[in-house]
Amino acid sequence: MEEKKIFKVTSNPIVRTPRGTDRIMLDVLIGLVPALAVGIWQFGLNAAVLLAVNVAACVFFEWIYRRLMKKNNTIGDLSAVVTGVLLTCVMPSNAPWWVGLIGCFFGIVVVKQLYGGIGKNFLNPALAARAFLSAAYAVYMTSWAVPAAMSGTVDAVTMATPLSYLHNGDALPEYYNYLNMFLGGIPGSIGETSTLAILIGGAWLLLRKVINWRIPVSFIGTVAVLTLIFGCEGYGNLDWMLYNVLSGGLFLGAFFMATDYSTSPVNLRGQILYGIGCGAVTVLIRYFGSYPEGVSYAILVMNCCAWAIDRAMRPLQFGISRADVKAKKAAAREAKKNAKEGAA
Amino acid sequence: MPYKYYGGVHPDYAKTAAKTPVRPIAPPKQVVIPMVQHIGAPDHPTVKVGDTVAVGQVVGYNDAPVSAPIHASVSGTVVAVEPRRHMLGDMVVSVVIENDFKDTPCEDMKPLTPEQLKDPEAIIQRIRDAGVVGMGGAMFPTAFKIKGAVGKVDTLIINGAECEPYLCGDHRTMLEHPEELLKGIELVRIAHGLDKCYYGIEKNKQDAIDLLNSLDPASYGIEIVPELVKYPQGAEKMQVKANTNREVKPGGLPSGVGANVVSTYTCYTIYRACYEGVPSIERVVTVAGDCVPEAQNLLVRFGTPLEHIFAEAGADMDRVERICMGGPMMGICVADPSAGSIKGASGLLLFSSEINRESETPTCIRCGNCVAHCPMKLEPIYMYMYVMKGDIKKMEEYHVMDCFECGSCSYGCPGRLPLTHTFKLGKAMINAHRAEEKARAEAAKINAAVAAEKAKQAGKEARA
Repeated sequence: MEEKKIFKVTSNPIVRTPRGTDRIMLDVLIGLVPALAVGIWQFGLNAAVLLAVNVAACVFFEWIYRRLMKKNNTIGDLSAVVTGVLLTCVMPSNAPWWVGLIGCFFGIVVVKQLYGGIGKNFLNPALAARAFLSAAYAVYMTSWAVPAAMSGTVDAVTMATPLSYLHNGDALPEYYNYLNMFLGGIPGSIGETSTLAILIGGAWLLLRKVINWRIPVSFIGTVAVLTLIFGCEGYGNLDWMLYNVLSGGLFLGAFFMATDYSTSPVNLRGQILYGIGCGAVTVLIRYFGSYPEGVSYAILVMNCCAWAIDRAMRPLQFGISRADVKAKKAAAREAKKNAKEGAA
Repeated sequence: MPYKYYGGVHPDYAKTAAKTPVRPIAPPKQVVIPMVQHIGAPDHPTVKVGDTVAVGQVVGYNDAPVSAPIHASVSGTVVAVEPRRHMLGDMVVSVVIENDFKDTPCEDMKPLTPEQLKDPEAIIQRIRDAGVVGMGGAMFPTAFKIKGAVGKVDTLIINGAECEPYLCGDHRTMLEHPEELLKGIELVRIAHGLDKCYYGIEKNKQDAIDLLNSLDPASYGIEIVPELVKYPQGAEKMQVKANTNREVKPGGLPSGVGANVVSTYTCYTIYRACYEGVPSIERVVTVAGDCVPEAQNLLVRFGTPLEHIFAEAGADMDRVERICMGGPMMGICVADPSAGSIKGASGLLLFSSEINRESETPTCIRCGNCVAHCPMKLEPIYMYMYVMKGDIKKMEEYHVMDCFECGSCSYGCPGRLPLTHTFKLGKAMINAHRAEEKARAEAAKINAAVAAEKAKQAGKEARA
């Protein structure tokens, strides 16, 4: 008898979006290109070396860990590359390459893989690595090279970031003007200096629907509103707000770090709350903390709350209105009251 | 103006067959007519081996209210009444008819008289007799649906969204039989006892919208509503929301908010049953997919073995990995192509392994696309987690039962999680759990009664 061909059976849907995890991660990498380009242009070879080492190290650690643990190989999803690039973005260019290597090990193995790999880590690997390095190698992590744009203006090898000036209550030197802050001619971490470059990358992510507007807008908006309201002695409120928004890693954090899938809420209302939380903690740290910069710690703090926010901010089901929820609550209260009276 | 709803996805619509006219295919040598072509009680064969049947003759019937008779789609001799493979997988009693290619018409069903065409009772009776079921794919007996809705609903919505990719049968019907279609819709409206109804059509069928509008739909009591192009626009609950801004309650039916939804091809079938006296014996089937040289719309008689349809369409069966009945988003895979075509099969899609994007190691990256896409505003990411854990209580808390399996979450998942599939499993688990609880409660009741009886007996004996 002729053998009959039996066809494969799978559940619906039969078709799936062509956008897999690898394509999303590639979009994130494309979005980081402008910021990195500015970083390498401003900080030169050091930045390029750090980038190469970090990317190679992240991919290698991910590969070797998965191999040793006899798990499937996940370097193809490009998430390790993204971690390497992001870690480079939040490191000063003066940091030696081996510091980056240690950071990659911490980020990939301890923060990401020990919790089960992509999607399971509760802290952003790049930011957790930066926090670890800041604690372990504080000297290397706070030595800011003079960007190329300033090499004629100042006669030094390293200098302080605008935020350290603000944190100490010193008046900002003249070349830390809004234009330089916006374009990227200021000292800082490799990928955070140019707001414009990050905005271009962020626009790409929004255009490709990799992220939505909720987290970046609520994050930056909260920082802007809070600093505008509370201001600071010695600065005009508007000036103070603009300094706070344009300096430090706020834009990089809001567009590329806080929107990290694994560590942010999935519910849309929750994402707004999360963004507001990030902004509020950033401002708190900048006002009252001992560090000048608060974005990375604010995001790490809110990372820990992401799952709780998801549970607290669950969407209302289709067919359930706010009135229904209220009625249900009222009925529950009534029942409780009746039960109490019955018992009494 | 159509109302918006949350979520949904925009798959590649691939409606390449939209410009291809419907082509009747050569009837097959043999048709295999399964006795299950609707939701509800299966039919009992009313013919035996050796009987001669005519086109449109009843071959399967069941008295139950939720049922629909089944008619012979060719004339010829019954050669077997035996269990055969159904498209959806089970072995089902089927009537196998050897075609004599004479197409002898059956004289049982006459067109309705002009008076009857105005009488809701007569129309509903004819819908029942003609074996009309929901042709959108649900296959719910239409007569029962209308009967249950009359008096309770104030809005009738005809579903012309055809939001599934590839499918073009409804679109072609609108273009090729606009007047008949409008008359069919009018019949459904009269059956509901309403003065007006909505006809929701997705805007990507602009030519059909223009054509229907040019035929003065208002004189039939129809308002055409151009709708957003978004999947799952054609889902019942989405249609009700888009046309009336009412939201069907979780676990409820559209009639719960005073609306009823009937699909386009159902209306056309009703037109043919009432005006022409032709029962539900054939339908337009879009045959498409990457294993078909050209997507086409074929007029297929029910019971035609799928192999015959594929041969007519010129499909390259060696490359085919999966056969999909219906659209690619909610369609069901068919394992055995010798099965006979059924009333709900609006499309037959042949996909090679190139279309298959399932992963062997699905990984959630918590991107939240599933939450953003779920039209029921559920949280598939957490539902998936709890189903995988088998936590019944949490599954209910996260409303797994309210998923209507549209597939939007799985479609948009970059980690290739089998979300929709898992929710089907979860529903089965919840149902099994509920049945178990019920059985347990009943057993406890019986045991308590037995114990009480025993105690009574013991008391009597002690007294004696």
